[in-house]
Amino acid sequence: MAWRNLWRNRRRTFLTASALSFGFVAAVLMMGFMNGMMEEMVSNGTEVVTGQIQIHAEAYRPERSIHDTMGGREGLDVGALVAAAEAQNGVAGVAPRLYGGGLVSSGDETVGAVLMGVDPEREPRVSRFASVFVEGGMPGPGEVAVGAALADKIGIAVGDEAVLVAPAADGSTGNDLFGVSGIYRLDLGGFDDSYALLELGTLQDFLAMDRGRIHEVAISVDRVRDADPVAERVAVAVAGLSPDLATEPWSVFLGQLYFVVSLASAMNSVVAFMIFGMAIFGVANTMLLATFERRREFAVARALGTSGVALGRIVVYEGLLLGVVALAAGAALAFPLLAHIRANPIDLSAFVGTYSFMGSAIRPQLTVEYSFQEPLVSAVALLGTGIVSALLPAWRAARLPPADVLADR
Amino acid sequence: MKKAAILFILAGAVLAAAPAAAQTDPEILEIIDEVDRMMQGASSAGSMRMEIDTEHWSRSLEMQVWSLGTEYSLIRVESPAREAGTATLKVENEVWNYLPRADRTIKIPPSMMLGSWMGSHVTNDDLVKESRLIEDYDIVISHDGDRDGEDVWEFTMTPRPEAPVIWGRIEQRIRKRDRMPLWAHYYDEDGTLARTMTFSDIRTMGGRTIPTRIMIEPADGEERTVITYVAIEFDVGLDEDFFSLRNLRAHQ
Amino acid sequence: MIRFPTLGWLALRNLGRELRRSALTAAAMTVGLALLILSRTLADGAHEDWIDSGVRLASGHVSFNAPGYRDSESLDDRLDAGQLEASLGAAALAPLTEPSITTVRVATRGLASSADGALPALIVGVDPASELAFSRLGAEPATGRYLQEGDRLHAFIGAGMATRLGLRTGSRMVLTAQVASGDIAGQLVRVVGTYRTGLDDLDEALVHIPLSVARSWLGVEGATSVSMVLPHSAFTDPVLAEARATLEGAGIEVAGWPETARELYSAVRIDDAGDWVFHLILFAIVTLAILNAVFMSVLHRKRELGLLRSLGLSGAETGLVVFVEGVLLTIASGLLGVALGFALVWAFFRNGLDLTDIMPADITFGGIVFNPVMYPSIELTHLVQSVALTTVIGLSASLYPAWHAARLDPAESVKVE
Repeated sequence: MAWRNLWRNRRRTFLTASALSFGFVAAVLMMGFMNGMMEEMVSNGTEVVTGQIQIHAEAYRPERSIHDTMGGREGLDVGALVAAAEAQNGVAGVAPRLYGGGLVSSGDETVGAVLMGVDPEREPRVSRFASVFVEGGMPGPGEVAVGAALADKIGIAVGDEAVLVAPAADGSTGNDLFGVSGIYRLDLGGFDDSYALLELGTLQDFLAMDRGRIHEVAISVDRVRDADPVAERVAVAVAGLSPDLATEPWSVFLGQLYFVVSLASAMNSVVAFMIFGMAIFGVANTMLLATFERRREFAVARALGTSGVALGRIVVYEGLLLGVVALAAGAALAFPLLAHIRANPIDLSAFVGTYSFMGSAIRPQLTVEYSFQEPLVSAVALLGTGIVSALLPAWRAARLPPADVLADR
Repeated sequence: MKKAAILFILAGAVLAAAPAAAQTDPEILEIIDEVDRMMQGASSAGSMRMEIDTEHWSRSLEMQVWSLGTEYSLIRVESPAREAGTATLKVENEVWNYLPRADRTIKIPPSMMLGSWMGSHVTNDDLVKESRLIEDYDIVISHDGDRDGEDVWEFTMTPRPEAPVIWGRIEQRIRKRDRMPLWAHYYDEDGTLARTMTFSDIRTMGGRTIPTRIMIEPADGEERTVITYVAIEFDVGLDEDFFSLRNLRAHQ
Repeated sequence: MIRFPTLGWLALRNLGRELRRSALTAAAMTVGLALLILSRTLADGAHEDWIDSGVRLASGHVSFNAPGYRDSESLDDRLDAGQLEASLGAAALAPLTEPSITTVRVATRGLASSADGALPALIVGVDPASELAFSRLGAEPATGRYLQEGDRLHAFIGAGMATRLGLRTGSRMVLTAQVASGDIAGQLVRVVGTYRTGLDDLDEALVHIPLSVARSWLGVEGATSVSMVLPHSAFTDPVLAEARATLEGAGIEVAGWPETARELYSAVRIDDAGDWVFHLILFAIVTLAILNAVFMSVLHRKRELGLLRSLGLSGAETGLVVFVEGVLLTIASGLLGVALGFALVWAFFRNGLDLTDIMPADITFGGIVFNPVMYPSIELTHLVQSVALTTVIGLSASLYPAWHAARLDPAESVKVE
């Protein structure tokens, strides 16, 4: 009977349904964009260098002393650590790293730099170094790769030799010549003008450290939003290798980014709240109008002996049926749209260019991220609103004497 | 900032004379002048040992040292083998390092001047810091007489109101009979001891009486750097030309 | 043809008779417009806030430098005393209705050292009064106070630097830098207070000292920069153009914040793009709500409109009545919407919208750079856009029912459904 009623007044049904489905599409799209922007911010902030999860010796931060390697002075089984982290669900890449501070020199020019020891095979799965070489490539044994600004400052090119000097872990002063394997440009100030990459083993030798000594394991995850649970799993998996390990997600070691993302997210949710509010309002408004216009119909039904409860039931059934159809249509429109935008993010670089903000290189694009929970919540909220706003006027109409309603009083 | 220095710079530096010392007692100036004359203007050549203890490692270096006054010095590491040949040249305000493995000479950039020299508790800056104690501090004799069986002066140096120095106060003990410095204590402004420098093993070496052992201890740890003279000759006839980049990289 | 007043009266009477339906239809427009105004105002407010706090920590909306300074950041590329006067003169001539803040700085990179250690520092000699209003670094000191007129050997430093160098209020600190003559010189200062921006890079490095001290220490007569904070970022371009014209040939570079704070500019632009998408969605959903309401009401007016026809009105006249109804409704709800929008905005203006309540509880980061309180800012163009959009939608939505009414068959319409 509900179906027949709806069908009988197709135009009204269509209008009401369109409010619902369009409200749903708007809400889902908006949340998708919002999540997309947040994840984009986090990705931009973590994909370039840091990864989304890091493991350090507990004592390493904040001083970052060269001596605070994982597993103390003895180090640990780096292969086992990497394997344990890699085996976890949701982990995309694992890269061990070693850091030292020193001088990079060529000709008469000398600058201070952070020497970063990396595994050239694993590093590309976590950071962008390998993909931003202007010239040459990642360093092999006995080689060094430097940022473009640093190369400029001391005037070196690929194929030249650079002198590196660094205080080693045993107190001696490491110094040697390294062939320049490549010059990269991350477009991240600090990394381009004061970082030098070496192959992990080479830097370990240079700094007089054993193969088991590293400062950091950087981990990338499949989905940025899963960083916290993945970090917990990794922490458990590596705990047995050394008692002093601290495994942290980006929200801990990039506190500033976390703050900015949370702030932007809060701002967006204010706008989101308005969009959702407007969607709810649109549905309520349309439903109220539609039901209001049916007072006569209800009155007639009452006059013919239909009970108030039965009438209410009809309204609810109609609402449910309408809602389900409308939301299904909305979903049929929204999800392909989301999937399309996700596959083809809206490129904004034409009018902003690439840039870095808060220490993260921003790839300017608008994309969407979605789960199935938020659309479900929106659907239920919209449907609930629709039915409540249909019931209110119906209930009033059912309570009035039918004659009054029919007389349009 | 660790204002230590190696012996030949330091012994002079601690009490180096400077003009315009208005606030300081003439008697003190006279004492300082005597100590100063003992150390300054002389050229020297010698060898020394530097033992460094840190929280993480301990090591010992043997080096050869040449100096001319406080402006010029050249230091070359002899052992351990890993670092043999590494050399440091200081000319006035600048410091160069020679790196044997790379066979290159690099000039320490201004931003790295506060880095540690050879892993010790001496900074590159200490090597070049011209001592301006009399310009920067008001010096009074806070004790005059017996201490531990020696007749000594104790100087208390407080920075002049606008002197660009980081210490709140320096205390220094000097043995009267030979004008030998015994120790210097560096305090911050709260009166907390920040660094101690101890001079000992005062002997005659190369015809002069000098403290042959200097120990530098930051107050906040078990760490220390000890510099000991093995041999030294004075007035060895070096001139400015000796302290050249060519000599810096020359192998023995 | 009936006269227009009669038509208007009929339209009004119709609206009044179906008060509930009119109210619901109007509500869609009113609420939609109010939300549009509020959300755009908040977004614009957030952007203006970003720009304002960003440029205050950088070089202001407009800055005057010697050519090459922005790349070299060297004392060698400074404004001499004459150029400084010229820059200040140009700044004073800026075409502004509200007061701006102009500050003079002598900045250099160097080292800050204490008995505990040394850190690289960005040392800026400032005029305390104008700098306080400009950067606001000293508005809420974490400890102590900001620099004052008459201060000499004083320094206002970041909390991070204070921790790293073991400094408190009153502690001595030595600044070392290469001075204009090329020599390295030290300068004693004492900490008068500390700030906390929340940005480690700044908190560990930026030091403010009195301008006079910086000048005598560094041997500089002019300044490295003259910077202006304008009442609103929209003034940047006119002020820039005026200053460039005034200083033509003086060897002074005048730059706007999009050049001096590139990252900030990009961040604002990119967020603009995001907001644009959000508002597109909001526009769309407001449009739909209005259309829905109008269409819904027209469907159920057959009887009523048929009555008008039987009273002797022509089809066109009936349509006109319905259109006038729509116009009246649109005007009323437009006015109401603007009023409601402003009421909401005003409520936010008074209190600000504190976002900390909806941010995760485990956030520990804080400071003066990122203000977690949103304040709206009314941009006339955006306001006009919102009002125009709703009006156009309201009016065009009224055309359909009018056309529908005009075509109605009177005999058919009076039948009971």
